[in-house]
Amino acid sequence: MQVINLWAKDGYLSTPDGNSIYFWGFSSTADGPSQIPGPHLIMRQGEPVTINLTNTLPEPVSLLFPGQPGITSAGQPVQPQYIDNKLVSFTNYARPGETISYTFTPARPGTFLYESGTNPPRQVPMGLYGGIVVRPADYNPAVRRYKTAYGAETGTEFDREYLLITGEIKPELHRAVEQGKPYSFKNYKPRYWMLNGRCAPDTMLMDNVVYLPHQPYGAMIMAQPGERVLIRYIGAGIAHHPLHPHGNHTRVIGLDGYLLRNGSTDLSYKRFTVLVGAGQTYDQIYQWEGLGYTPDNPIPTILPNLRNMGIGEPGWTLWSGSPYLGVKGDVPKGVTSFNEMGEYYFMLHSHEEPQITNWGEFPGGMMTMIAIYPSLSPTVGELK
Amino acid sequence: MAVVKKRLGATDGFIRMPDGTSHYIFGFVDITGVPEEAVFMYRGKANLLAPLLEVYEGDEIYLTLTNLGLPGRPDLDDTHTIHWHGFPNQIPLWDGVPEASLSVPVGRDFTYYYEPLAPGTYMYHCHFEPVEHIQMGMVGPLVVRPQLEKEQQRKFAYNDISTQFDREAIVFLTELDARPHYLVANVQGFDWTEYAPRYWLLNGRSYPDTIKPADDPSLPYQPYSSLIHAYAGERVLLRFVNLGYEQHSIQILGIPLHIIGQDAQLLRGYYDEDLSYHKSTVYIGAGQTTDAIFRAPRAGKYPLYNRDLHKNTVAGKFFGGMVTEVTVLPAP
Repeated sequence: MQVINLWAKDGYLSTPDGNSIYFWGFSSTADGPSQIPGPHLIMRQGEPVTINLTNTLPEPVSLLFPGQPGITSAGQPVQPQYIDNKLVSFTNYARPGETISYTFTPARPGTFLYESGTNPPRQVPMGLYGGIVVRPADYNPAVRRYKTAYGAETGTEFDREYLLITGEIKPELHRAVEQGKPYSFKNYKPRYWMLNGRCAPDTMLMDNVVYLPHQPYGAMIMAQPGERVLIRYIGAGIAHHPLHPHGNHTRVIGLDGYLLRNGSTDLSYKRFTVLVGAGQTYDQIYQWEGLGYTPDNPIPTILPNLRNMGIGEPGWTLWSGSPYLGVKGDVPKGVTSFNEMGEYYFMLHSHEEPQITNWGEFPGGMMTMIAIYPSLSPTVGELK
Repeated sequence: MAVVKKRLGATDGFIRMPDGTSHYIFGFVDITGVPEEAVFMYRGKANLLAPLLEVYEGDEIYLTLTNLGLPGRPDLDDTHTIHWHGFPNQIPLWDGVPEASLSVPVGRDFTYYYEPLAPGTYMYHCHFEPVEHIQMGMVGPLVVRPQLEKEQQRKFAYNDISTQFDREAIVFLTELDARPHYLVANVQGFDWTEYAPRYWLLNGRSYPDTIKPADDPSLPYQPYSSLIHAYAGERVLLRFVNLGYEQHSIQILGIPLHIIGQDAQLLRGYYDEDLSYHKSTVYIGAGQTTDAIFRAPRAGKYPLYNRDLHKNTVAGKFFGGMVTEVTVLPAP
């Protein structure tokens, strides 16, 4: 039996514009920091799992596992909870200081969400959510045929995989919870939009950077040309987000943990903008093929004198100064290039453009990059 | 294969709404073939929508962007770019994301190169400070026509015989929040999280301007009509593009739609399964495109409108906004 321990705790998350926002999240250790989103839970189809949740927050907290069948707690099926005939929780909860256990057996592979089921309109936006990946029963990352999202012979082999969990922040809600004051949801208007608990440009930083102790997950997607990149979107907020990757379409292969196939009929589809709704998950394959713009195959127009052009945002750019993959060119004096080895960067962002701001200021919000490297360690894009 | 050379100027200007209001915009204007010494005559003449870019699969396209500056905001030296949204296998240099390549300062130009790999309905827009520049009007439609058209000398949406059509129309959806337009014109900032449009536009106009002809003299910088004409029995292709910041829900009263393409993809599965379907409503998110074909019914007028009914208004009054007409004439 796989056993996962989670602690519900509070903490402060950082936004790139300098705000520090009180939030509730999960931690995988008793004395570690809470994090947003919670720890990734990796499971295997058909293998039972027990999740122990210890609640250190001042009100009852519980866990929902949408899409998972047969959830029990203390040997009994979980049930909605009522006090004086009023619904208080969608499922069994732990009071402050208590621990509760949930047990289930993931029946099918795919991408799922876990989130609080107690006071969810408050607790989920506060940060009590995370991602679940269920590996197919035959999953074996050492053998390509079995390194799949949905099992052998489903056409879902991948080379690298990433989770992108969307969420929003309405600072007034967080302040009200911090101060123990009431909050009305009738005017819920987010000011921050997050991928994996971070707003751009922090989304492009590595995992586990020390100055974001509560936001350990980066959102940069890294791959080599032609690789099959499995991107798992999870809508953990309460808004929908039209996520648009540059550079190519993605092929949507699974929805809410269901392979898009009906018997022998393939129902997958390619989109350049994928609308992720609240609580939904989208599994998709992105491939950037490469077009052969190498130094042996010159670009068909003349690169202008770069001194005459705008290069990146003032002070920084992700461009190499060259049109070619894997080639570093010169950038003008005064321009700082963060390009490492001539890799290509393609933006991935919400196309509801106010969502790519931090409280109204571009650039920010629900935006990251897809980086295509000429060569890349095989350990990049491993989900742990 | 043809070599196509086009040139767009990026500048500013003003558009009109049916309630008599005028709004400051940024935008593009077609300056293809304009002599160099006359190019700056186009300052302040931005169009909403930007010029339609129509190319064939396999063409080689050289598109020059010239930044003409913003005569309405001479203090503002924003650079601009062109991003072909949805284009497969773009390389960063031609992708128009300034953080990942370069952008065009005032008075300079840059030639983008494209080789369209796949037919379908796309869009293009400036990607410099896109929250501001897209809302300000730097948006336009982009159609890649299939090779099959050249072989068959008939019109097709994709390289598939089932996508043949007789007529086509672009239904390009955007919104306009007058406050940021006013504030930008007056050198003020805007909190984009307060975005709340009161004008909803089809092809850059609000009803009843939508049913005025193309190049109507009362709308010098909004050259696109949304009036859709067909003869009974004809197959009509509608290319829906949403480049607003909201989802939209478009219906045509009395005309069901056959959805044949989304996001520039023919609706076919891996093994050529037919995944097309019929709908009465095109529900479309920001940054998406949808291709729908209908067979024109018997002669009459058929309203096209947004079922988000508050968008059938102009600054709160109806009818206005995302409303137009499909006029079907008796078969000749």
